[in-house]
Formats: sequence, structure tokens, C-alpha cells
Amino acid sequence: MELTDSQNAIIQSPFERKIFLEGSAGTGKTTAGVARMRHMLTSGVPADRLLVLTPQRTLAAPYDEALRHPDVAAGGLVNIATVGGLARRMVDLFWPLVIEEAGFGAQDERPTFLTLETAQYYMARIVSPLVEEQGYFDAINIDRNRLYSQILDNLNKAAVVGFPYTEIAERLRGAWVGESAQARVYDQAQDCAARFRRYCLEHNLLDFSLQVDVFFAHLWTEPLCRDYLLNSYTHLLVDNVEEDVPVAHDLVYSWLPHAESALVICDQDAGYRSFLGADPVSAAALRDLCDERVTFTGSFVTSPEMQAFGDTLSRILQPGAVSAPPVVQPPPNLTNVLRFESCRYHPDMLDWTADAIAALVHNDGVPPGEIVVLAPFLTDALRFSLTHRLEQRDVPARSHRPSRALREEPATQTLLTWAALGHPAWGVVPTRYDVAYALMQTIADLDLVRAHLLAEVLYRVKDKTPALAPFDGVNPDMQQRITYLFGGRYEALRIWLDAYRAAAPAPLDHFLARLFGEVLSQSGYGFHQDFDAARTAATLIESVQKFRWIAADLPAGKPLGQEYLEMVQRGVIAAQYLQPWQERDENAVLLAPAYTFLLGNQPVDVQFWLNVGGTGWWERLYQPLTHPYVLSRRWSKGQPWTDTEEVAARQLSLHRLVAGLVRRCRKTVYLGLSELGEQGYEQTGPLLKAIQRVLRAQS
Amino acid sequence: MGATFQPRPRQRQVLAYKGGRMGVAAVPGSGKTWTLSLLAAKLIAEGNLGDEQEVLVVTLVNSAVSNFAGRVARFVQERGLLPNVGYRVRTLHGLSHDIVRERPALAGLADDFQIIDERAAQEILQDAAQVWVRSHPYSLDAVLSADLDETRAEGVRRGRWQDYVTGLATSFIKQAKDLQLTPADLRYRLDQFPEELALLEMGYAIYADYQRALAYRGAVDFDDLIRLALQTLRLDPAFLARLRERWPYILEDEAQDSSRLQEEILKLLVGPEGNWVRVGDPNQAIYETFTTASPEYLRRFMKQPGVRARDLPNSGRSMQSVINLANYLIRWSNDAHPVPAIRSALATPYIRPTPRGDPQPNPSDAPENVHLTARGLSPQQEIEAVVRSLERWLPEHKDETVAVLVPRNDRGFEVANALKAKNIPCVELLRSTRSTREAAGALTHLCYYLAEPTSAKKLATVYRVWQRAAREDPVLEARVEDIAKRLRQIARVEDYLWPRADRDWLAEQNMENADPLLHDHLVEFRVLVQRWQGTTTLPIDQIILTLAQDLFTAPADLAIAHKLAVVLRQAANAHPEWRLPELTQELAVVAKNERKFLGFSDEDTGFDPDAHKGEVIISTIHKAKGLEWDKVYLLSVNDYDFPSALPQDSFISEAWFVRDHLNLEAEVLAQLKAFYENPDLFIYDEGTPTLRARHDYAAERLRLLYVGITRARKALTMTWNTGRRGTAQPAVPFIALQTWWEMEKENITSTD
Repeated sequence: MELTDSQNAIIQSPFERKIFLEGSAGTGKTTAGVARMRHMLTSGVPADRLLVLTPQRTLAAPYDEALRHPDVAAGGLVNIATVGGLARRMVDLFWPLVIEEAGFGAQDERPTFLTLETAQYYMARIVSPLVEEQGYFDAINIDRNRLYSQILDNLNKAAVVGFPYTEIAERLRGAWVGESAQARVYDQAQDCAARFRRYCLEHNLLDFSLQVDVFFAHLWTEPLCRDYLLNSYTHLLVDNVEEDVPVAHDLVYSWLPHAESALVICDQDAGYRSFLGADPVSAAALRDLCDERVTFTGSFVTSPEMQAFGDTLSRILQPGAVSAPPVVQPPPNLTNVLRFESCRYHPDMLDWTADAIAALVHNDGVPPGEIVVLAPFLTDALRFSLTHRLEQRDVPARSHRPSRALREEPATQTLLTWAALGHPAWGVVPTRYDVAYALMQTIADLDLVRAHLLAEVLYRVKDKTPALAPFDGVNPDMQQRITYLFGGRYEALRIWLDAYRAAAPAPLDHFLARLFGEVLSQSGYGFHQDFDAARTAATLIESVQKFRWIAADLPAGKPLGQEYLEMVQRGVIAAQYLQPWQERDENAVLLAPAYTFLLGNQPVDVQFWLNVGGTGWWERLYQPLTHPYVLSRRWSKGQPWTDTEEVAARQLSLHRLVAGLVRRCRKTVYLGLSELGEQGYEQTGPLLKAIQRVLRAQS
Repeated sequence: MGATFQPRPRQRQVLAYKGGRMGVAAVPGSGKTWTLSLLAAKLIAEGNLGDEQEVLVVTLVNSAVSNFAGRVARFVQERGLLPNVGYRVRTLHGLSHDIVRERPALAGLADDFQIIDERAAQEILQDAAQVWVRSHPYSLDAVLSADLDETRAEGVRRGRWQDYVTGLATSFIKQAKDLQLTPADLRYRLDQFPEELALLEMGYAIYADYQRALAYRGAVDFDDLIRLALQTLRLDPAFLARLRERWPYILEDEAQDSSRLQEEILKLLVGPEGNWVRVGDPNQAIYETFTTASPEYLRRFMKQPGVRARDLPNSGRSMQSVINLANYLIRWSNDAHPVPAIRSALATPYIRPTPRGDPQPNPSDAPENVHLTARGLSPQQEIEAVVRSLERWLPEHKDETVAVLVPRNDRGFEVANALKAKNIPCVELLRSTRSTREAAGALTHLCYYLAEPTSAKKLATVYRVWQRAAREDPVLEARVEDIAKRLRQIARVEDYLWPRADRDWLAEQNMENADPLLHDHLVEFRVLVQRWQGTTTLPIDQIILTLAQDLFTAPADLAIAHKLAVVLRQAANAHPEWRLPELTQELAVVAKNERKFLGFSDEDTGFDPDAHKGEVIISTIHKAKGLEWDKVYLLSVNDYDFPSALPQDSFISEAWFVRDHLNLEAEVLAQLKAFYENPDLFIYDEGTPTLRARHDYAAERLRLLYVGITRARKALTMTWNTGRRGTAQPAVPFIALQTWWEMEKENITSTD
């Protein structure tokens, strides 16, 4: 791609310059950043002196790709990291320095770093007895897993914003104006956070918040570690700084004076991760420490018409415009950039969407990868319905996550049912349905009716111990109904399970691997030809293995496999496991929540916005235990959060969201409108109204 | 009324409204909803609204919402503007939902809070009442009638008590919520009170239990929704200010049925300086019994200083004789009702015909088409007489509309059965929201089968569900039943569904040559069932969506299925241990939920009598409100269904096993109210509430009669029956009307 003069100026500026580069999305900032990195490498700057810092790993994709390019000189490795990743590496590296100072309990042991899933697991272990035995959180109605994740979220917020986690409840209480019972709930959340932190310290477990806390409190202040970092990385490339958290900005702020060169890239009008603590205001403060400030204008992505549409919409949505509407300039002809049709029902809208996509792909030759379908959030039903419709129209589609969570995959259910039968001591008793479904999956060609017959006559539970009875014991009439072919396959499975039960139990992942290898993948069994099921099995085995590595100190006498199974049942783990093979199929229509698409930062030709009338575009998820705005640096303690603040915040984020989407759309935005939403309620949300104003201004 | 609406002088007065407060008293058929819709359109068109502002229209029932919205949309479009912008039409429940939904946190709710409908609420309440009755078998003995011997008393305790207490508790909880009393508030007050109040203790116990059960489910009921909306508005002044800004004009239709909370909520939304138009017909207030709804709110409002009072007395709906009859009913009740306390039940303005030259002239008068049958008939004879009359009338009036109006649902079913037996086409406006239930019902049957795939009986049911369209056609239906019977008799369903070389039920039937169509039909069904069986290992939402794709084509049905999928998915997430049987149970329950908000059914999109010419509409008088027919039969006008608070009248709410003819419902509500107003004084006098309830009920039934009469355009027949025991008498107002009408007829004949 041809680079502009201003891009070239950035790329070729001297290697002692510190530049703050800002501009809207699509103005070519990251392209310049990547090119500068390559220019530095080709000019002889040692790769391992470069540190590329982004708020989340996916945002570093352009840098990753550039480095994989064959013409990049071999040599050292450029470091690409997030602040969290950096913190974790430093804690790992300088562990002996912090172990005592930070108050870890197991002095002779290494740290265990928790993933979100495993942190959730420990949180569940700590919090669920409090809920069940002491009536914690009975004043609110919330799904258990959301409860755990919100308490973790509070800890993370405290860490990335940089206030003591002991102040969480106080801050939340100070802003609360609703029902008074809520104050107690905040105290309970505080108590849970404290218990979790104590437990982590005792057992050398480091969740994200503790990694960040330890790094900033004990390592960044420690000359040994600090000098190591400052001397290792002398050239900083910081991209999407507006999406990063305040402590990341603090870090860069104190690093900049010591760096030889720096390029800090900041998107204007963004900050989509504010619910994760992103703080565009503290990002902007980095400007003052740079030698030079450059602003890019002019989009590489959008046409002037699209730009005009975006600008008009932005003016309407900008905060403060609610009661005193600005004069809206009619945008130029919108017919090229905006298409819509109003439907009465939600499924009608999905049909319209699928038809329009099929026409684009099959008639107009638009590559499926250039089309995204966006909604404020995607329910499973919506994803399933749309994927199914696109399949019927022969259009490949992908989703931001697999169509089913790992725990919902039929293959997972099957494997875990056999695990329960292989380990009667766990006291986990599958239902007759589970066994019938497992048989249907396991035995090739077995139908649901015969699977039920098998389960009905041969699955026995005696004294809470589940077992399979021999096929020989069934009366001949029933044997005929089931057929001897299926009976034989059933027997082989039963005998394998019996033999396993007779020996000492193996770790769950070993059990699953053996069952898969010795029975399920054999000819005559369901996984033999079903590659998806085989991949699911592999992923499950990996998940169990990882769980086995971190899960120390299990409740007294409880086998690990049983604990794993129960946690899967409760939805604590295996709920969001990403299957690697489903992650990327580039030339497929992407279905994603709008924010997920924005953070992927990949412009496309065509966007579909679904449920434009829905209030979901404007509402934030209400989290009763936490609050992204109150737990930020922009909020003074004790100031009440009223409707005025709520509306201003919603309006601002809708404005940012819509502006961000338009800037990532090259050609056309399709609006899916249904009078009644997915749940049957009438939809006239603020986005719809704003778009109507654009249309009215035009007419 | 035609598409272009030319307002009459009195309507123009209403339409001249620019702002402030106005109250309008209208008569039946005066076009009040048209006028109000036009007013809404006018306010929008004249540029009174900012871009984010809306005219808020509040009305009574869902069917009115879509009617109203449709009319405003039409008027707005006639003025060249976009429809669906600038106004919002809601019932009080819908409005409350909007308010709470916007800031659930203020009401202490999660953002995914559930709303359970009356039926699900009733189930929870029944459980709570049952628990209470079991643990307090003798605690209400003090109210039992002294005439009961021990055996009968025991019978009551074991039998009727349960339902009776549930009924009491239902009203109690409704009223407590209306008064914004939580169980905790009540407990506190009860503990302060020096004496034990048995009825209130009972109400409290069941109420507390019920609310716990709701909280456990993360749910609120419809009354909570209203209560919480009010609470939300009071908690955050900034939120209230924003809503006031959004809704600068509030138009209220059917204001005669406004309740205390409705008035409170709207008063808050209007604010001290706001714009509020309330339109209603106090004579059509028929939703008052044991609610706080009352035509008094509208009447009082119209008398307030600063409120402009208007009326709409002209109606082009009925011929003069029907108008005369309705006006006489007003006059008689004002002057001559035997119970003076009821004389204010109906009020002027009298109905006046439309002025000369009006685009909607009244039908020409035909007094001979008004019949008030004096002779007492048995309930069966009454129906037979109506059926005979319709058999004669229908063939001669193919282009006209006709309705049979009854006071109660069960009477309507009897009429419907009699008409069906004679093959007279009829439409029942009795049950509600059929399509939601049917779609959910179809899915439920499929899921029941999938949970027990070895059952031939359930497979046969699935077949009937798949072929449910055949129900419309008796020949097809018989064939479907026949095939279903054959399926039911399959001993081993797998031999049909999943045949193997040596076992193939379908092949054994030798149909392929004998009846190739049937053979192919059964192959098609088999392929479908195979596919459905394949879904059983999927998550529940995907099962439902897959089934729905095969089962439904109507967009509304698919939309319902989609919603059910989402809701069931939530249930499955909350109960990971649930399998198909439990989820199917939930489906059955969920199917009934939230129907008040679903715009999915035929009923909710508005019922148009004119679309049913040549068919007989059967409806309760309540459901007939707002509708009109060329000919109307008004049945059961006896002193049981229309009592007049005379000593000989019996009242449904006074149970025979309760002492002194007490209406316990009225008594407990009066106690609750006295308790709420001032627990120290506690002004309560046993028996007085029972008497007042009689008066209120008699007054409401009088208005119901008025509503029934004013549904008729050109012909009206009123009959009465002697009731189940054969002892019922004609209703007192019926006698008055009938006597007066006989005299009128003589006058007319003599002037002729």
C-alpha cells in the first residue's frame, strides 16, 4: 500500500524521537506504527530492544503479522506484550524478590498463575459456602457465575485503576442512590474479595489482579526489576493506548523519560473497553512527555458518504444534544451507504438479513469475510438461528465464539457421563437421559429410540451407584428390539468400563484419553468418523489436564475428577473454552457483538446492525456488584451516581460505538429493524431514533 | 367511521387543546378514542415535540394499545410524517415495564428480571395458601357460619376453604401492593397492634410466603411492576425529570378505570406544570370490584380548579330506540333505583344522536327491532331461543354483524357449543391469546415425545400436532385421527422410525400399492421425526429453534418460538441439572408467561367485528367494550348476574359457609385499608364493608348492563333466565326497562 507523506514522516523520524500520534480509526496510524517497527528493524535496531505494548493481545495482530513476514530479518525477537502479560513475566522472573514482601504463604514454592477460568473456580469454592450457609447476596437475584465474575472484576478494577482493593465497597456505597439493602450486598462482595485475596496469598495463587498489584507495588519500585526493564527495552511502541488501563498509562508515563524512542498511538473518540477499566483521559496525559504530537486525518477506510453518515449520526448522539438538538446538516445521498427494511418480527429480520447476505455473496461477489453481522449482544438463539439460515443459503459463517460452549458439546457430555460411570466412588449419578444420549453418541448408528430402550433396561442405580448391566441378561424379545449388533457394541463398552472400575482409578484426563483411544475412536463407535467430536475430546482432555495442574488443595478427600465434573455442571469451567480450530476461518461472515468487532479492529466492506430499535445498543449490562464508572479514576468518592450520570455515560458510549463502527465500514451499513424484539417487546431505542433523525434530515 | 375524520363541534373543542389539564366525559360511540388519537397526531404534527420527545398515551388493555397505535399512525402518516415516531401507546403495565426496565437497579432488580403472569402467580399463591390452611386448620373457625354442624364444618375446612383462602389472599396481596405495603411493613404494624387480627395475620403470612417465592425465582408479578415503577420514579429525581422531558404530553384513555396507582404514576410523570388529558366514560367503569380503580378519579379530576371539563355527548353508533333505552337506564337509576346508594352508579351526559349533516349519521330507527323478553326461560331454553332466532336472522343479514353477549365466560362456552351443534359459524372472544398458547403447546407436545421416544401414544400426538391445520376441516380431521390411531397402536416404534431389514412396520403395512399417498405421507413424517430425535443432544434453545422451523410458518409463531428458546435457555443455565422432562415442564409454564406484553396474538392486534360478517361473535360484555355490532343479544339479565343490592339478592362473594352473610374479601380489605390509614384509630366496623361491597357490585353490574345495551347499532334483544336452581328473577333494572319499553311501544303505535 502507498504510504502518505505524514505516515512516512512518522516512520522515518529519528530513533531518538518520542512521538504521540493521534487520529480517528481508519486514518492509518497503526499502519504507520507497524511500518516504523519494520523500518527500525531493517535499520539495525536490535529486535529485542523493542517493546510493543497493546491493551489486549488481539490488538497486536498487525504487529504479529508483520513480524511473521519473510522479509523481516532474522535475529532477536520483538517483544509484544500487554501490561498484564509483562507483570506476569516479571513476577515469574523476580519471584524470590516478592515472595516475602508481598506476603505469600508458601515460601518454598513457585507461583501458580490463574486464568480467568481457574480464578473463577477458586472464587466459587470460597463464595458458594457463604451463599449457601450464611445467606450472602440473598438481597439480589443473580446467576451464580455472574456473581463470581463480578467479585473478580472488582479486584481487577482496583488493580488496574490503582486503588486498594479494600476500598471497593466504600466506593460503590458512596455512589448508590437506590434501595438501601444494596449497601449490605456491597459489604458482602468486599468480604468475598478479601477472603479470595487471603486464600491466594496463602497458596501462592496469582489471579490477574494480584499479578498487577504485586508488579506495581513490589517490582516496578524495585531497582533490580525496574532497571532490567528499562535497559532491556529502550524503544517503546504503544498502540491503542486509549483502550488501556490507568496503571498501564502510569507505567508508560514513568518509562518514557528513560526510553530512547517511543511512538504512542491513540485513537480519538474511542475507549470501548471502559467496562474493563480503559481510561482515554489518562492516556491523553502521555502526550506531554513526548517530543512531538502528530494528528492524522482523512480516512483510508470510509467513503465521503459513509463519513458524512457517521458525522451526522455522531452529531445527533453527542452528549448534551438530548434536549437542545444541534442543527443537523442533511448528509449527501445515503442510498449507497445505508440499506434497511422494517420487519414486524425478529425472525423476519433474520430472514431478511440472511437473504441480503446471500445476495451480496452470490450475486455481487462480496467475499464473506468482508461482511459482519453485529448486535449489542448475541443470544445463543440468535447466533444459532442466523448461522443456520446462512448455512441453508450456502454462506460460510463464523462467530466470535464457538456455537456451543465446551461443556455443551454432546461429545463432552458423553465423555463425562462415562467418566461418572467409570468412577462410582464420586457419587455422581447420571440421569437415564444422559446415559441414553451418551449411548446414542457412542455407538455408531444407534438411534434415539433404541438408545432409550438400552438405558431403560440396562442402566441401573443401586445405593446411589450407577452401573451398566450385561446385555445377556435382557429378555430375548428386548434383545431383538435393540438388535444384537448394537448389543454387541454396548457390551464392549460395558466390559471396558467394568475392567477400568476393577483397577485403581487413573487421573481423569488419562481415563478420557484411554476411553477415547481404546473404545470410542474404534470402528463401530461414534467418534470413529466424527472429527468434530474427536477434536472436542482432545480439547476436553486438555482442559482437565490444565485443571489438574492448578487445582491444589482440593476439599478433603475429593477426587479431582469429581471436582472437575461438578464445576462443569455448575458452569464454572468449560463454559467459554475456545476451540482453536474454530478461532479463525477468515473468509466467513462474522457474527459478533458490536464491541467485540470494534476491538478486533479490522475494517470490512459491509456491516449489518441487527435490532437497531433495541435498547441494548444504549443500555449497559447492569452488574449489581460492581460499577465500571464508579470504580474508575474519573469518579470522586462519595459522589452519587444518578440518572443524569447514567444517561450521559450511555449516550457517550453509544456515540463512540456508532462512530467506531462507521469508521470501520468501507461500503454499506445494513440496518435490521424489527418492531418487536427477540423477546416480543416493542423496540424504539435511542439508536433507532437517531437514525430516524438522519433520515428525516435527508428527506 | 370513514378514513377521513371530520370532527363534530364538541370534538373540535377537545381538539383545540394546546396544553394544560383537560378532562373529557364521553358517551358510548362518541368517537372518544378517535378524537384522542387525532389529538395525539395533531400534537405531533404541529411540532410541539423535540426530537427525543413523545406523546405518551395510556390506555386500559392490550387490544386497545394496538388499535390506538394504528390510528395515531394513520393520522400521522396522513400528515406526511414517519409513523411510530413521536408517540408511545402503553397500558399501565406496559408503561411500568418501560420505566422499570430502564433502571432496574433502582428497583433492586437484575437486568434480566422475569415477569410472571397471573396464572403462574396464581399457582405460587395457591401453594402458599395451601401451606397456610394446612398449618392453621382451625384459625378461621370464628368466621364459619353457626348453622354448620361439625361434619359440614370439617368438610369446609378440608374442601372449599383452600380455594376460598386463595381468593382472599389474591385480593389481599393486590390491595397491599396497591397501598405500597411490603410484608415487612405489615409485620411491623401487626406487631404494634394490641389485638390479634386473624384475617390480617392470614393475609400477611401468605403474602410474605408468596413474595419469598417470587424473589427466589428472580421474578416480579404485574402488581409489583406497577408498585416498583412508582418507587423508581420517587427514588431518583433525575430519572423522573428525564421522563418528564421525554413525555411532555400525557393522554389517558379509559380514564374511568384509572386506579390510585395509575393516577399517582401519571401525576408524577406530568409534574406540577405538565400537560394531561384524561378521557373516559364514567358510565362504562366496569373493572372496579376489589381493585382501587374507580370512576371517581376522573370525576374528581374534572372538578379540580385549572382543569378544563369537556364532554362528548353525540354518538352516531345506535338507532334512536337503543339510545332511548340506554338514556332511560341512566334516568331510572338516578331517580328510581330502589337502593338510594346506587343511584349515582350512572351519570349524565345522556347520549345524543349526531347532529344533522354529520358524516356518521345514526342508523334509521326501527323500534320493532328491540326485544325485551319478559318471559322467564330456563338457561337451556334461553340459549335455544337465541339459536333459533339466529337461524332465522343470519341468512337474511349476510352483510351485517351480530354478537351474543353474556356476563360470564362459562355461559359463553354453552352458547358456542349450541351454535356449533347447529353448524352456525361463530367466533369466540372468550379465551385469550390463543396463538401464544397454541405455538407453545405444539412445541410442548414435541418435547414430551422426545423425552419419551419409545412411546407410540406420544408419537401419535406429535403426528396430530404436525397436522394440526387439519382441525379446520372435518374430513381431513377424521383422516388425521385415523392415522393417529394407527400410529398409537404400533407396538415397537423403532420398527417404524428406524426400520431394519427384518423389521419395518411401514413395509409390513403394504401401503405402497394400496395407498401410495399415505405411504409417502408417513415416510415424510418419519424423516421429520428422525431429524427431531437428532436434536436431543443439543442445548434446549437449539432444539426449540430446530423444531419450530419444521413446525411453523407464520411469522408470529416463529417469533414466539424464538422467544421461548431464549427463555428456556435462561432456565437451563439456571438449572444445569435439568433435562428434557424438566425443561418441557418449564416450557408449559413459560408459555403462559408475559403474555400481557407479547404483541403476538390476533386478539392483541385488535379485533374488528366488521371482518366477521355472517358469523356470530360470542363475547363477555367486558370483552365487548369498545366494539359494536348491528345486532346484539344480551343474555342472562337476571338478578343473579345483575343483582341490585336488595335483601333477596344473592352475591357471589358471600359464601354460604361464612357467618352473617359476610363478604370476607370485602371485610379483610377494609381491615387492611383501616390499618394502612391509621392503625391507632383502626376504623373498622364488621359488616359495613360487606354492605358497601354489595352496593359497589350492584352499581358496577348496572354499568355493565349499560355497556351491553350500547353495543347495538340496529337491533337489540335482551333475555333473562331462571338460573340453575330455577329461582332467579329478572334483574330489577331489566324490569324497569321492560315496563318502560312496553309503554313506549304503545306510544309509538298510538302516534302511528
